[in-house]
Amino acid sequence: MNDYAIETKNLTMKYGNETAIRNVGLHVRKGRIYGLLGRNGAGKTTIMKAVLGLIPIASGEVKVFGERIGERKKWIYPRIGAMIEAPGFYPNLTGTENLEIFAKLRGVPTPNAVENALALVGLPYRDKKLFGAYSLGMKQRLGIANAIFHDPELLILDEPTNGLDPIGIAEIRDYLKKLTVESEKTILISSHILSEITLLADDIGIIDRGVLLEEAPLSELTKRDRRYIELRVSDVPKTVLILERDFGLKDYSVQDDCTLHLFDAVEDIGKIHRTLVLENVAVYESRHCSHTLEDYFRNITGGEGVA
Amino acid sequence: MLKLIQTEFLRLRRRRTVFWMLLAAWVMPLVGVFYFGGDCRSGLEPIRFFKWASFSYTAWIVLPVVLGIFASMLMVDENRFGILYQFWIVPVYRLSFFLSKFLTVMIYALCFMLVSAAASLISGRLFGCITPGLGDVVFLFRKCLEIGFLTAFTIVPVLVAAGMQRGYLLPVGLTIVYTFFGFILLGVNPFLHPISSAMEIVLRDVPGVVLSRPLNLPAAFFCIGIWCAGSGVLMSIRLKGSWI
Repeated sequence: MNDYAIETKNLTMKYGNETAIRNVGLHVRKGRIYGLLGRNGAGKTTIMKAVLGLIPIASGEVKVFGERIGERKKWIYPRIGAMIEAPGFYPNLTGTENLEIFAKLRGVPTPNAVENALALVGLPYRDKKLFGAYSLGMKQRLGIANAIFHDPELLILDEPTNGLDPIGIAEIRDYLKKLTVESEKTILISSHILSEITLLADDIGIIDRGVLLEEAPLSELTKRDRRYIELRVSDVPKTVLILERDFGLKDYSVQDDCTLHLFDAVEDIGKIHRTLVLENVAVYESRHCSHTLEDYFRNITGGEGVA
Repeated sequence: MLKLIQTEFLRLRRRRTVFWMLLAAWVMPLVGVFYFGGDCRSGLEPIRFFKWASFSYTAWIVLPVVLGIFASMLMVDENRFGILYQFWIVPVYRLSFFLSKFLTVMIYALCFMLVSAAASLISGRLFGCITPGLGDVVFLFRKCLEIGFLTAFTIVPVLVAAGMQRGYLLPVGLTIVYTFFGFILLGVNPFLHPISSAMEIVLRDVPGVVLSRPLNLPAAFFCIGIWCAGSGVLMSIRLKGSWI
């Protein structure tokens, strides 16, 4: 029995001569929310398009529900709901009319599926406002409604909260969480906003420049959220000796000729200062710091872009 | 397929151009009334009036241009607003998708020519130009449906060109050039262009029409077929990468 709703092996994709995605191995477990985190242009949307079979893959394999996606596997699609990039709809139609077109094509059996989906995302049913006059937030909501109204097992949402107000973001987040808890749906969601992903996802994949740098449960990643003391001293080797001998400290890192990071000595800092001074080591600076998840992401993705 | 065609028409809601364009079917019948002004008083052979009103410029120029614009309206928006992805993940098969567009164009072409037939009858009768018998009326409607049916096939290249664009300028411009090219070739070599080939087929049994060359129906059908097949191949090559 395959535990993964989505699985990719060595997925590589190219746009012309440019490699957009390189050897990506994605593992989205059933019934969980997988957050794909990366900077703009990192390759999140490309991976989602590949998973949906919307663009040809250069090499590798994509499996959805254990089956290779492709021309002969169209029966998989009704089990998927997706919103890729900015949701596109007919500007001369209302939101309801747009959804009714896709409901007709999908052959949705539930008579009020469209009405329920619109209610869930907070859009009015049978409203007269045309899609062309919608705000960005309303367009996003309609895109989400289109992805969910046929009750799919797997949701693939590309930056779904773009343009939503804070209340709207919280509502969508609660709804998506509810879907996995109550209906055991699987969700693959992408974002460049770290806080959004950490509030929602069970598992996180970090992608940068087309390479999946890390894939781990959120619980494991949060362990990297550590506090430490940065110590600037006159003699680092002697300080290390004292810390190991007198305090039994093993969890530290030497940054440079005069800087140390102490990870498990937060309580003993007074004693450490006194001992160092008595041993003729000058303490220039001592301050509490923390390594947040954001620092971690910044480090592995190489800087800016993840908010 | 039926669902797809239904949704094609649903998508055209509030597109008033679609209805305004049907009024173009009245242009040639009304021009005909003025053209035959003097002859109307002395009574006119109905087929002669119908030839002018529905079987000539309406079929050669007005209908192809209207269908080219209509085809652009059907194809461009989905490219332009990124709606195609939503269809592919329904999923909608590419062949079904394209076929539904073509059939929608054909339905519209038939409607247009029915309006043209009605306009010819009404304007001819109203201004006292013609007094058609049942046989004339049946002939008029049969020919108009034939024109609508064949012209839909001749618009396939425009449909394909519009499917490759995100804007209206090129497909509409192409429609005009394509239509006039067909009109010009009508008198030179009709078997080079689908529109002129279609007219060769339509005019085969219209009384009073004398063709300057021997009638060659297989060549006319072959010409339309080869253009349609070529367009289909182009479309599938163009969309191979982006379709499921």
